[in-house]
Amino acid sequence: MPPAALSVRDLTKQFSAAGPVVTAVDHVSFDVGSGEFFTMVGASGCGKTTTLRMIAGLETPTSGAIRWDGRDFMTVPPQQRNIGMVFQSYALFPHLTIFENVAYGLRLRNTPRAEVERRVMATLALLRLEPYAQRHPAGLSGGQQQRVSIARALVYEPSMLLLDEPLANLDAKLRVQMREELRALQRRLGITTLYVTHDQEEATAVSDRVAVFNHGRLVQLGTPEAIYTCPETLFVADFIGRANFLPARLDDRAAPASGVTFADGTRLRPQRQVVLRGDEAETLAGADDSVVMIRPEHLALHATAGDVACRVHRIQLLGGLIRYRVVAAVSPQPILVETTRALAGVSEGGGAWLSIPAADAIVYHR
Amino acid sequence: MPALTALRGRDPGPLLLGAAVALVVVIFLIYPLANGMLLAFVRNGEEPGWSSLTLANFARFFTAASYQRALWNSVYSGLAATLVATALALPMAYAVARVELPMRGLLCAMSVVPLISPPFIGAYAWIILLGKNGTITQFVAQTTGWTLPVIYGPRGVILALALSYFPYVFLIVQGALAAGDPHVEDAARMTGAGRARIIRTITLPLALPAIAASMLIVFIKAIGDFGVPSILGGEFQVLPTLIYYQIHGFFNLNAAAAIAAVNVLLTLLAMLLLAWVNRKRAHATVGGTAAAAVRLTNPGARAAANVYCWLVIFVAILPQLVIAIASFAERWPGTMLPVSYTLDHYRRVGSQLLQPIVNSLILAGVATAMCIVFGTVTAYASARGRMRARWALDATIMLPFVLPGLVIGVAYLTAFNTGPLVLTGTALILVLAYFTRRVAFVFRTVAAAIAQIDPKLEDASRVCGASWGATMRRVLVPLAAPAVLSGAILVFSTLIGEISATVLLYSARWKTISIAIYELVLGDQLAEASAIGTITTVMTLLLVLAAGRLAGKNMADLFR
Repeated sequence: MPPAALSVRDLTKQFSAAGPVVTAVDHVSFDVGSGEFFTMVGASGCGKTTTLRMIAGLETPTSGAIRWDGRDFMTVPPQQRNIGMVFQSYALFPHLTIFENVAYGLRLRNTPRAEVERRVMATLALLRLEPYAQRHPAGLSGGQQQRVSIARALVYEPSMLLLDEPLANLDAKLRVQMREELRALQRRLGITTLYVTHDQEEATAVSDRVAVFNHGRLVQLGTPEAIYTCPETLFVADFIGRANFLPARLDDRAAPASGVTFADGTRLRPQRQVVLRGDEAETLAGADDSVVMIRPEHLALHATAGDVACRVHRIQLLGGLIRYRVVAAVSPQPILVETTRALAGVSEGGGAWLSIPAADAIVYHR
Repeated sequence: MPALTALRGRDPGPLLLGAAVALVVVIFLIYPLANGMLLAFVRNGEEPGWSSLTLANFARFFTAASYQRALWNSVYSGLAATLVATALALPMAYAVARVELPMRGLLCAMSVVPLISPPFIGAYAWIILLGKNGTITQFVAQTTGWTLPVIYGPRGVILALALSYFPYVFLIVQGALAAGDPHVEDAARMTGAGRARIIRTITLPLALPAIAASMLIVFIKAIGDFGVPSILGGEFQVLPTLIYYQIHGFFNLNAAAAIAAVNVLLTLLAMLLLAWVNRKRAHATVGGTAAAAVRLTNPGARAAANVYCWLVIFVAILPQLVIAIASFAERWPGTMLPVSYTLDHYRRVGSQLLQPIVNSLILAGVATAMCIVFGTVTAYASARGRMRARWALDATIMLPFVLPGLVIGVAYLTAFNTGPLVLTGTALILVLAYFTRRVAFVFRTVAAAIAQIDPKLEDASRVCGASWGATMRRVLVPLAAPAVLSGAILVFSTLIGEISATVLLYSARWKTISIAIYELVLGDQLAEASAIGTITTVMTLLLVLAAGRLAGKNMADLFR
C-alpha cells in the first residue's frame, strides 16, 4: 500500500434521536493510501454510508479520529476539506445549468472567469458532456446526470473523491459500463477515492482494496482477491460471491488441520483453517463443531465418478455459466456447483458424482 | 359529462352521475357567477338585456374617490399583509426545516390555529389588546407614558391579516424545504460553500416557487377578507367592505356586482400568476431520496430558532388566548389580566344565543354532506376520467374556493333573488353558498387520495366480476374514506365560522355564530362575543385534530 493519506481510527457514531441509542458505526479503523481506490461494502444499514459522511464532515462522529495527511480532520468544516463528493441521488442543483452546476465549486474559490470556462469545459469534455453544457439537469438521462455530478466533484481538483452508491440508480448494463469508466478515470487522475456500495460484485470489480462492513463494524479489509479466496468470517464468505457451507465435525479438536468428517461419514482435510469468534462461534455450539466453506466453481461434478454420490435437482443456464443444484448426504442443504461447460450425462432429476477438492476448502471452527 | 373509464362499458351508473354533476355545476356554480357578472353591466333597477348593457357601474372606479380608495386600499393592504406574513414566516420555515428543534410537530400544529379560527375573531382580540382602552395600550401608557398608535385603519388591518394568513407561507415553504433532496445542500457544502452562501445560491432559489405560490395564496385570501377590515378598518374601506355597504346601505346589487367583478379580476390575476408559478414548481425538483436533511445542532442556532419560532406562534395565537380569557372576565379594566372572573357570559350564551350555534351546526352540517357526495364524485371523475375538458371541471370547482366570500354572496343574492329559483332568506341559499365555497376542500383531498390508488385495483375488481357500482362500494370508497372524512371535517370546521358569504345571505331566522359574534362586537358586547368565539375555536380545533388523526397526518399537512 502507498503511504497513508487518510487515516481513520476507532470511528464511532451513535444515534439517539428517538428512543434507544443505536450504534451505526462501531470502532472502525482503516488507512487509505494516496491514489488508492478504496471501497466500503455491506448491506444497507451496515454503517458504510455513515462512515463516508463522517469523513466528508456531514456527520459528526461520536468518538474516534479522522486524519488527512497527518492533520486532524475533525476540526475542519466540510466546505474546507477540499473533498469532491458524488451522491446516490446525484444531488444536482436543479435550478442551474450543467455548466453552472460544474462551475459552482470553482466560483466559490474565486477562480478567474476565463479559468472557470476553461476548466469546466475540460472537465465536461473528460466526461463527454460538452453538448449538454447549457441544459438543465431535468433534461438529462440518469447516466448523464451521474456524470455531471462526477464532473462537479472533480472540477476543482479535490484531494479526495467520495462516492456514495453512485451507480445504484442506473440500469444493470449502464452500471457495468460506468464502473469501468469510473475506474479508468480514477487511474488517469490518480485521485484518492473512497467508494460506498452495497453491490459486492461492483466492489470487487473496481477496487484496490475492499472493506466489508456488517452491523456497524469493519469485518474484513483486504484486496478483492484476498477477501474472496480467504474470507475471515462466515458472513464475509457468504456476502462476497457465492458459497456452500457444509456442517462438519473436527476429527481432532486439538489439531484442526487433521481434517473433518461430514454427516454421512465422508472425510476431508481442508487446506486452510480459520478460527471463528463472537456470534459466529456461537452458531457452532451443536454436535457439528465446524463448517466447511467451498465456492461453487471449485466443486466438480461428473456423471460417473467422484467422491460423493448426489442427485441433480436443478440446472440453470446463466449466460456463460451453468449452475447445478444438487442434493447429497454430506450436507442437509442443497449444494451449488458452477461450471463453464454443460456436463455430458448430467440431467435434472438424475444422479451424479461430486468431488470436493481439499485445496480450495476452508474449515471454520471455534 | 365525465367520460369515466367505465363509460366504454354499458353501465348507466357513471352516465347518470355525470349528468347530475353537470346539472349541479351549471345551476349552482356557473349560473350564479355568470348572472352576477352580467348584473355588473346593468344599471341599478333596470332589467338585464342587450340594450341595457352599460359600463356605468365600472365608471365609478374612475370617478368616485371612495371606489378608487377602496381598490387601492385592497391592493395596498393585500400586498403589505403578504410581505409582513412572508417576512414572519420564512425564517420560521427555515428554522423548522433545518434546525434541530425539540417540538417541531407541536409548532407546526399550533401554526394551524390562526387558519382555522375565523380571522375576525382575531381582529377584535386586537381591539381588546391594542384598542383605545386595550390591555397593552393601557400598560404602555401607564409604564412609559407613551400613546400607542391607533389600531383602527390600515395598520391594524395589515397586522391582523398578516398574522391570520402567515401560516400558509410557513407551512408551504417548510414543506418544500423538507421535501427537497437534502443531498443538494450537502453537495454544495462539499464543493466548498458555507451556510450563508448555500442559503443564498441553493436553498432560496429552490424554495422560490413555493415561496411565490404561498405569497399569492396569502394575497388572494387577504384581498377577499371581509371580517378583519370591517372590524378593524374604521374609515379604511376595501373592496369587500365596499360591496357590503353597497348592499346593506343602498341595496344596489348592480354596483356590488361591479365591485365584486373588480375583486374577482384581482383574484384571477393572482391565480393566473399562481398557476404559472405552480407549473415552474413541477419542474423544480430532480430525483429525491428518503434521507432527511442534516439539521443544525449547535446551541446558538437552536436557541435563536426556538425563541423566534415560539415568539411568532405566541403572537399569532395571542388573539385566541385573549378571547378565551375575555370570555371568563367579569371586569377587565385595561389591566394585564382581568380583575375578576365569571361564567356569566357562557350562561348568557346558553340562554340567549344558543340558536345561532344550532343554526351554524345545521347549515354547516348539511353543506358538508353535499360537499362529501359531490366532491367525491367529481374528484373521481377528475382523477380517473379520460375527458379532455378535465381542466374545466377542476377550474370550475376551484374557482369559488379562491373567490372572496362576498363575491359568492353577491352572485347568489343576484341569481336567486328573482327569476325561476327564489331562495333569498332561506336556509338553502346559505347551504348552497357554503357548499359552493368549500366543495373544493373535499375535491382536492379526495382527488389526491384517488390518484394514489392504483387504477389496476379497479380493473382487478371488475375482472373478478364486480359491477362498476360494486367496485366503487367495495374497493374505492373504503380506500378513499379517510381522505373523504378528513376533507369533510375541514369543510365543516371552517364553515362554522364562515362570515363573508353569510353576511350577505343570512336572514333573521337563520343567523349564524359568525353573525352573532359580528353583531355583538359592533354592539360592544365583547365578553359574550368572546364566549361564542371561544366555543367556536375549541370546537373547530377538536374537529381538525380529529381530521388529522383520521387521515393519519399532522394537522399542518391538511393545509399544505
